[in-house]
Amino acid sequence: MSCDAERVTALVDGVLEGADRAETETHLAACGACRAQAEEEREIRAALRGLPAPELPAGLEGRVRRLLRGARRPSPGVVARRLLPLAAVLVAGLWLRGSAPVVAWELSRDHDHCFSKAKLPAEVWAGDPSVIAEWFAERGRQLPLLPASAGQLMLVGARRCPMPDLSFAPHVYYASARSQLSVFLVPHDVRLEQHFASRSRGNTVALVRMGGSLVGVVAEDPDEVAEFVSRLRTSVARLDVPSAR
Amino acid sequence: MNRDDAFEAEVLPQLRGLFGMAYRLTRNAHDAEDLVQETLLRAYRAFDSYRPGTNVRAWLYTIMNRLRTDALRRRGRSPQTVELVGDGPAVSPAHEAVITSGREDVSRALETVPEHFRDAVLLRDVEDFTYSEIASILGVPPGTVMSRIHRGRALLREALAGRKS
Repeated sequence: MSCDAERVTALVDGVLEGADRAETETHLAACGACRAQAEEEREIRAALRGLPAPELPAGLEGRVRRLLRGARRPSPGVVARRLLPLAAVLVAGLWLRGSAPVVAWELSRDHDHCFSKAKLPAEVWAGDPSVIAEWFAERGRQLPLLPASAGQLMLVGARRCPMPDLSFAPHVYYASARSQLSVFLVPHDVRLEQHFASRSRGNTVALVRMGGSLVGVVAEDPDEVAEFVSRLRTSVARLDVPSAR
Repeated sequence: MNRDDAFEAEVLPQLRGLFGMAYRLTRNAHDAEDLVQETLLRAYRAFDSYRPGTNVRAWLYTIMNRLRTDALRRRGRSPQTVELVGDGPAVSPAHEAVITSGREDVSRALETVPEHFRDAVLLRDVEDFTYSEIASILGVPPGTVMSRIHRGRALLREALAGRKS
């Protein structure tokens, strides 16, 4: 074997094995230059090992711990625990949104809100149901066929009533000299069979399925509500008649 | 033991060694501390990919080496390399120099050795990693590790000899 300086390094580091090792050791026994290299490399190793470790800066471990604490991700369990109340509120919100009494309360409140104002906050003023229907159609909402009047109540106008979920419900106003009545098109589904009626905030509220729509009717007088609902049903029935004829 | 406790238990005992290596790489305590903190932060984020019970030291040093290489590249320089002709002086005005050198001399001589070679020598002689661990830390083949250690030691020998002569 001729001189191979890298193999001498490998021998010093103990990474040569078997025949390679034996061969290199034999070479070293005969070669003064390689023996000297091995000796020097061992001395360098010893000198480097003897270098004192630099002193750890004071407080480094504390700073590292704080750094790691700052980087911690909450565990999935903690995340779940933090999100639970929010999820509960959302579920409750969704459930309440589909609850007939809650919707009735909301419609009754909107009815009072609009009719308590000195001037009705209508966006469209008309006594003709087709004008109102057209106004909503332009805004992407189809109304069921509404009457121009019911008893003393006359169609006055309508507006888009903002709902808590940021959607809007068409709100149509009827008024007579002594009473007011609201018709709402509820923009989402509500858990009810065919209809629902209750007193809420001093008003009578009826929720009625009509065709594909859910209609809410609100007035103080229960008889006026009942009469209006039957009037609505007749209008819708009349609408269905031509195709049946 | 949760993930955070497991990380601290594995990694914090390595702090002293990591700082020592970082200090030798950066040559000042401030940069060394920055490098150690960045290494541990990176390790913490990658801890899911670490298999407990495997070589935590080699894993940490690999992260540290990669960070430092990236930092040097960003600063527009790769670790120093030099062209070596032959293997340097095979024997010996240096021989005596090594024996009689003080620690100061060895530290100063180390600074003259280009990083490629110095890092390999430090990982072997100070940190006591095996060739294959060094290969994985530096991201080079084991043959290159052997050649860098050899040349690193030869340059160190020369530097010590130069200092003495």
